[in-house]
Amino acid sequence: MIEPHTGPLAWVNGSDAPEKTEINLGFMALSDCASVVVAATQGFAQPYGLTLNLKRQSSWASLRDNLVSGQIDAAHSLYGLIYAVHLGIGGVAATDMAVLMGLNQNGQSINLSHGLQALGVTRPEALQQHVHQSRSKLTFAQTFPTGTHAMWLYYWLASQGIHPLQDVDSVVVPPQQMVAHLQAGRIDGFCVGEPWAASAVKQNMGFTLSTTQALWPDHPEKVLGCTKAFVEQYPNTARALVMAILEASRFIEQSAENRRSTAQLLSAPEYLNAPVECIEPRLLGDYHDGLGNHWQDPHALRFHGDGAVNLPYLSDGMWFMTQFRRWGLLREDPDYLGIARQVQQLALYRDAASAVGVTAGTTDMRSSQLIDGKVWDGTDPAAYARSFALHAMSANTPLLARR
Amino acid sequence: MLRILLINDTAKKVGRLKAALTEAGFEVIDESGLTIDLPGRVETVRPDVILIDTESPSRDVMEQVVLVSRDQPRPIVMFTDEHDPGVMRQAIKSGVSAYIVEGIHAQRLQPILDVAMARFESDQALRAQLHARDQQLAERKRIELAKGLLMKMKTCNEEEAYTLMRRQAMSRQQKLIQVAEQIIAMSELLG
Repeated sequence: MIEPHTGPLAWVNGSDAPEKTEINLGFMALSDCASVVVAATQGFAQPYGLTLNLKRQSSWASLRDNLVSGQIDAAHSLYGLIYAVHLGIGGVAATDMAVLMGLNQNGQSINLSHGLQALGVTRPEALQQHVHQSRSKLTFAQTFPTGTHAMWLYYWLASQGIHPLQDVDSVVVPPQQMVAHLQAGRIDGFCVGEPWAASAVKQNMGFTLSTTQALWPDHPEKVLGCTKAFVEQYPNTARALVMAILEASRFIEQSAENRRSTAQLLSAPEYLNAPVECIEPRLLGDYHDGLGNHWQDPHALRFHGDGAVNLPYLSDGMWFMTQFRRWGLLREDPDYLGIARQVQQLALYRDAASAVGVTAGTTDMRSSQLIDGKVWDGTDPAAYARSFALHAMSANTPLLARR
Repeated sequence: MLRILLINDTAKKVGRLKAALTEAGFEVIDESGLTIDLPGRVETVRPDVILIDTESPSRDVMEQVVLVSRDQPRPIVMFTDEHDPGVMRQAIKSGVSAYIVEGIHAQRLQPILDVAMARFESDQALRAQLHARDQQLAERKRIELAKGLLMKMKTCNEEEAYTLMRRQAMSRQQKLIQVAEQIIAMSELLG
């Protein structure tokens, strides 16, 4: 192996040098990919000797396949996607996976169609009534069978007394195609990340019934995911990558002006390819639901929160496994804590955080109260999974959403 | 089947390599003397492998090899009678994947070609990596230069200069390096 650097970059030759200097970084066209795009384009990785090549993916399924095959090294990923691959759920062989850091919290939405709005279904109770009285089933779209949007949609519907696997139909639609599917009348509602929910409101195609932060304030959302093999083979590269993205996350949140420039950057054709008017307001917490309500959201999409967003809490990872169990995607209780410890790269994250001066507390769990009043703090996950009135634990076959 | 471009300069042994190749089942798609423009031939013929059969590789040959390696890299195997280790080093440095002294036997050709191709692939990967590192280092230097210029122009500190550059880049949907180049160009203009 030839080591080319001497002189000004001699430190790169030390033991911290990235083993792999060029990284193919996958992302989906969503507002919450911001820290990844900003890190790659705004010179955050160069000081660590890394070149980040952004690779936009067309769907979560292809992102998953490319991540597992090594076409991309790391990616902006749904929390649930990483765990599903690790556990071998959803038609792929189990591959050991790793969560390097949390990329963001909050900022997804559940929207309903204009058709439902015209029928007066503009509140959760009205939806519940409609679902139980109407003869035809409504169809809701989410973005990946085990993804965060599926889990938010299921959790929210269940909290309103609607069984997500019996009372309605679910389909999978890539995020950037949601609006077109809604327009064509193929779906009655969806759960998706921005800017696609705001875009539907802006185009007068329905309204936002609930945000996901209303369901769980500061919920985990996207993570920086990769295979376990990647972290083991290139630990210095993985740490440098986390450092660069942490610094980009901090930069985005430094001022409202930085957030606005971020929105401008994201709207470019090679990233989100969407008008800045659909991206910027909700990125700044400025919400219009399409029913005439307007508010400044205290739990809008955030990327850093002084590091609170980025620590890969064990309890966050475990929560997704409890929901897989609840909805029959897992037929037995997994070793919740043991698996979360394998997947969440806490030690590597804490190393990277301290290197760039970001606080990373010593606790590995956090406590949250969700919309149904239940508290999740990581203790007794098996009992938590079993504690819901609506579930699909006894189902004979896993009820995967139709593809 | 491999497309082989064969270069011969040994008039007295004409055909020794071609015969061996044909015997081993390879297709020789072109055969030329050494006075040709090698990059031009590679461009037209698009071979998978280049074989050079030369009594002793001259500086002209080496230069041609360097040009091919730089612009349209291919595995290059050199058969020669030249034992001088200095010449051999020079040939490898120029981009030759395998340097074989004497003894062309039909049965040895396949393994020699296999080694040359494997060696070539790993060289290419390394070269790409080095190129990326060089470019990354160059970009970093340009960004630092622009930052320094901006600090002087705006009398601001380092962090403020980076923030200004990044905001400008993001608002214009550009990369930081692009804005850095614009600042450098502007500064040269006003210089």
